[in-house]
Amino acid sequence: MAAEESTIVVVDDDYDSLEVIKRVLEAFGYKVSGFLDPMEALEHMAKQKPDLVITDLIMKSIDTGLSFSRQIKFDPRFKDIPVILVTAAFTQREIAIQPKGAADLKKMGVDAYFDKPFSPEKLIQKVRELLTRRMEGRGK
Amino acid sequence: MNDEKIRILVVDDEIGIREGCRIALNMEGYEVDMAEDGLAGLKQFEQNRNYAIALIDLKMPGMGGLELIEKIREQDKDIIMFVITAYATIDTAVEATKRGAYGYIPKPFTPDELILPIKRGIENRALSLEAKRLREERENRLLTAAFERSKSNTIIKCMTDGVLVINRDKQIVLWNEAAHRIIPGCEDLPLPVHLNAISSSDELFSFLNETADVDSDPVIISKEVTIENSVYMVKVSPVIEPEIGTSMGTVAVFRDITALKELETAKSMFVSMVAHEVKRPLGVIEGYLNLVVSGMTGEIPPKQKEIMERSLIRARSLQTMVSELMSLTAMETGKFTIKRVPIDIVKVATNAAESCRDRAKEKEIELALNYDEKAGHEPVLADRAAMMSVFVNLIDNAIKYTPEKGHVDIQVDNTGNYMKVSVRDDGIGMTPEEKDKIFEEFFRARNKFTAKVPGTGLGLSVVKRFVEMHQGKISVETAPGKGSTFTVFIPKWDQAKG
Repeated sequence: MAAEESTIVVVDDDYDSLEVIKRVLEAFGYKVSGFLDPMEALEHMAKQKPDLVITDLIMKSIDTGLSFSRQIKFDPRFKDIPVILVTAAFTQREIAIQPKGAADLKKMGVDAYFDKPFSPEKLIQKVRELLTRRMEGRGK
Repeated sequence: MNDEKIRILVVDDEIGIREGCRIALNMEGYEVDMAEDGLAGLKQFEQNRNYAIALIDLKMPGMGGLELIEKIREQDKDIIMFVITAYATIDTAVEATKRGAYGYIPKPFTPDELILPIKRGIENRALSLEAKRLREERENRLLTAAFERSKSNTIIKCMTDGVLVINRDKQIVLWNEAAHRIIPGCEDLPLPVHLNAISSSDELFSFLNETADVDSDPVIISKEVTIENSVYMVKVSPVIEPEIGTSMGTVAVFRDITALKELETAKSMFVSMVAHEVKRPLGVIEGYLNLVVSGMTGEIPPKQKEIMERSLIRARSLQTMVSELMSLTAMETGKFTIKRVPIDIVKVATNAAESCRDRAKEKEIELALNYDEKAGHEPVLADRAAMMSVFVNLIDNAIKYTPEKGHVDIQVDNTGNYMKVSVRDDGIGMTPEEKDKIFEEFFRARNKFTAKVPGTGLGLSVVKRFVEMHQGKISVETAPGKGSTFTVFIPKWDQAKG
């Protein structure tokens, strides 16, 4: 599957933050649907299953982003979709929820995380890696 | 008093004796007044009152000699009185002495027999007068001293700052009311009392105990100490005896800075809030700029690209400042806690150097790390992220302030109790004035070279705080054009202590 055919859902409650991630991905040829609200994203996903999800931690309530990611992993339709968490919250030392290693990531229901501001190259690299791994897994 | 002529009063009913005495005494340079009986003598004395000596006959009509002696003595404690009499008996002599006479000259007498005892009497009087003067002086001084002391005591007592004086034997010898209020459970302790008596205030006790030997002048050691929910700035300085120049002990002054700390916390919380609010929009600005600069949104003309690149650099430096501000305020409000675990400092320094290698390469700066293979890996007890931040900051600074094709050397040494990490560059260095301020918040050296270097003036403040949180030390050696060497000491992990 060529990169252009992969679809990605991006969720961020800040319009511009969403826009930046969206445009980076689009620059690399991905088809992107952006949502400000995780509920709308879920509704969209039920109709059109994406290949990957990128979500902000969304601090409206303490862990909206995390319950969103866990919901994806819990749903049998979606559990094979890789989730990337992109957040500015981890750099705030007062909230010590920075995942340390694979076990923490799994507990959070995410496959990778990035601190904001993130490097576009590294994000794209991770997106490619997760998509490839998923395709290989499906091939088996 | 010595310049004045000595005056002598002669009281005798026999004119021959009076005149004889006058002539003999005048020849010796004394001034003489005379009276022919007791009453006249008393009158003469009361008129003048400045006689050093009185010669008094015992047997006189009217008021006798003994009565006169008694009356004069009542009014003058210092006058020397001699009895002159023809009826010399032991009994009368004793009686006269009891009433205040100094000596006894039997009649008849030669001029020498008169003059010699008088001279002795005058000497004696001078001595006793001098003794009296000294005694009075001392009493006056004592009085003044007592008054001064009670004045100082009152002042110390009324001070709103707590005062505590400790002698060389680590005994508390003085404290005021405010100190009683501040230090729990010490009101009823009689002085002097050993410092151990206040060991329930652990932090305070160890500070006073450690500083009790301070004797170099001038030195003031201060520390913030929390006692029962209040914060005090405790300043200790040696008590130096001005004449001897050695320390007799220390004086500690306690100032309540609780309100000040609350204000500081409010300020930190405000700064922290602003920093958090600014972080997200800044991230967005950086993200957009990055999109344009990296060409993801299409080709842009070189001139515009250059401007966008400069904007991106400034946006990133602003972001660093915001993160550093957040770290600083977190440390100030005590929300920032470090987690100290045994770590290999060489490994952290290596990782830090690696993360800076790209930036060094851009300027063709040679970045080298050296350490002793054997001793270098002894663990320190430190927070890995904090240590990483310390070294990245120092190495990044070294690269920033070193011109192209320069050198940055990182050296890790084992000094026994500490691991020592030095970051040396051959860059622009600093003037002594810049060196003094380099760890202050928002301080940046300003010159032609640094004008082009993006920086926040917060990095080294954060570094210093991190190092101090580890009970470590940081120092810098530098000179303009000679490069700078920042040296960090971090305590090694004492396995026995854990």
